[in-house]
Amino acid sequence: MKLIQILFKKELMDASRDKRSVMAGLYYAVFSPVLMCGLFMVLLKQFASTEELFITIEHAENAPNLVQYLESKEIQHSNDKTKVKPITLVISDDYGDNMSQGKPAMVTIIADKSDDKLRKSVSRLEAQLARYNSEVASLRLITRGLSPTLMKAVDVQIQDQATPDSKGGMFLGLATLSIVLTLFYAAMNLAIDTSAGERERNSLALLLSHPINPLQIVLSKIFAISTFSMLGLVVILITSKFSYAMVPWEQLGFSVTLDLPFMLFAVVASIPLALMSASLQVFVSFMAKSFKEAQSYVTMVLFIPMMLSMVATYDIATETVQWLPVAAQQYAMIELIKGNAIPLPQLLLSSLVTLTLFGVFTWLSSRLLKSERVVFGL
Amino acid sequence: MITVNNLCKQIGDVNAMDGLSFTAPDGKITGLLGPNGAGKTTCLRTLFGLLKADEGHAEVDGIKVSENPEAAKQQVGLFPDPSGLYERLTPREYIQFFAELSGMNKADAKVATADVLRHLKMEDIADRRCKGFSQGQHMKTALAQAIVHKPRNIILDEPTRGLDVMSTRILRELLKMLRDQGHCVLFSSHVMQEVAALCDHVVVMAKGKVVAEGSPTELCERTGQTSLEEAFIQLIGSDEGIAA
Repeated sequence: MKLIQILFKKELMDASRDKRSVMAGLYYAVFSPVLMCGLFMVLLKQFASTEELFITIEHAENAPNLVQYLESKEIQHSNDKTKVKPITLVISDDYGDNMSQGKPAMVTIIADKSDDKLRKSVSRLEAQLARYNSEVASLRLITRGLSPTLMKAVDVQIQDQATPDSKGGMFLGLATLSIVLTLFYAAMNLAIDTSAGERERNSLALLLSHPINPLQIVLSKIFAISTFSMLGLVVILITSKFSYAMVPWEQLGFSVTLDLPFMLFAVVASIPLALMSASLQVFVSFMAKSFKEAQSYVTMVLFIPMMLSMVATYDIATETVQWLPVAAQQYAMIELIKGNAIPLPQLLLSSLVTLTLFGVFTWLSSRLLKSERVVFGL
Repeated sequence: MITVNNLCKQIGDVNAMDGLSFTAPDGKITGLLGPNGAGKTTCLRTLFGLLKADEGHAEVDGIKVSENPEAAKQQVGLFPDPSGLYERLTPREYIQFFAELSGMNKADAKVATADVLRHLKMEDIADRRCKGFSQGQHMKTALAQAIVHKPRNIILDEPTRGLDVMSTRILRELLKMLRDQGHCVLFSSHVMQEVAALCDHVVVMAKGKVVAEGSPTELCERTGQTSLEEAFIQLIGSDEGIAA
């Protein structure tokens, strides 16, 4: 244990003086929330505002009421070719006569419904026309002394159970994704440098010539790397807190607010992940024969946590995935921000699996260090 | 005392060691002399348990390296390939780190580090980071690391590579001092002068085998040559891979 402490201290000192590697890890932690913040602002703008829909209305003069109604719903005629969507609403010439006689008055929508980008606008127009239709029909029934409720055989009510915060699922997913991935990216450079780099600088053999066993060396390296990834985590939590506070969440009626309990929870829940991330990357780096090879392998391997995190972000197959490492921790963070109870069984089990993986990778790395092929890169 | 008994090791198609046996006694400087590729480094790596011999065993003070590597390594100081310094540490930090790794407590390690730095006249560079050190400064730092914990046995792999005259002299003095204190000093070299000037006992190696053993004078007498270089060439049967 004392030897691990000595080794750990040296790894920490050596790594902290490697300014470039440390900074490269921290850049991610500092800038990804800022980028996310920009992305959220753009997305929110798209989500929140019902844009004005400009279409071509032919023979508008035949149906001034209808046109006025549509205008109140922000659907208008425009001659400006740059804003107008290729949707044409043709009002028939006998519209006024039929309307006044209580006969069906014809309007025609001309649009290419196979065009995905148009479909939403066409349905919006259809929906508004249907509403106008039922409003006029109701008025007609009232003038004839009938209740408009006659026309409502089924009264469909929708109760939206979404609380404001739960609507922000995707935003929460992306925010927590960037937090969880820090544990992997902040560690990457150091993990490669301290393993593949150490071998390439010929100092690994010297270390192994001392009365210490490989497990002690591997553990001290993993602890040092984890320390830096936890540092990255703290940095990203702080930058996230401040940058997400600048996003105009009120537009959607929910907010991604990282409060102190959440931050503390994130730190504690991430400790097993940091250990697993470090041990995985050290193991992969020792497997590689050179520094460069290690870089490509580690980058490839990092797709796995990234995929797990993505799956949690986009809520794919939640039932099973929420038990897996990385995804479960992220899922718990999402639930906590939403104000729901932390899914404790999932979190505990996956933390246990994460720690087991840490043990396995550590053991495998220490086995590798007993092999002369690995130590001398043969 | 370091004993090597019938070591055999095949690396790829090459027989790096082929029944290698010799003894490096305490209180003597033993030189492992051989052309490039004779198996010197392989032999030294086996002594540290970094390589496993296919056959035979190596012992340090009677402890078998393969059976109890940590106890065996405790008895040895290694002067490594000096390119393997931690460039971001200063010599003081570097030496102290290895002193602690070799089992010294922090306070003792600190004192021992200061002693060795003074002894090797390295105080001027002691607190500069190793990055950008000259070859000689590298060497001194590596050497200080090897002897800081005063191990009973010291192994040096081609220690004079790249040293200037002054540093070489310091190294020689130091090795002689360690010998006089009763340490076992084993070093590998392919530099004749070095071996002739320093060694009490020479083990001549070629192709993974011991070709001859004895003091430099004995080797000359045995081959009927006047210089160790001539004796050596006669012993290994070629002058391939030798530096004068």
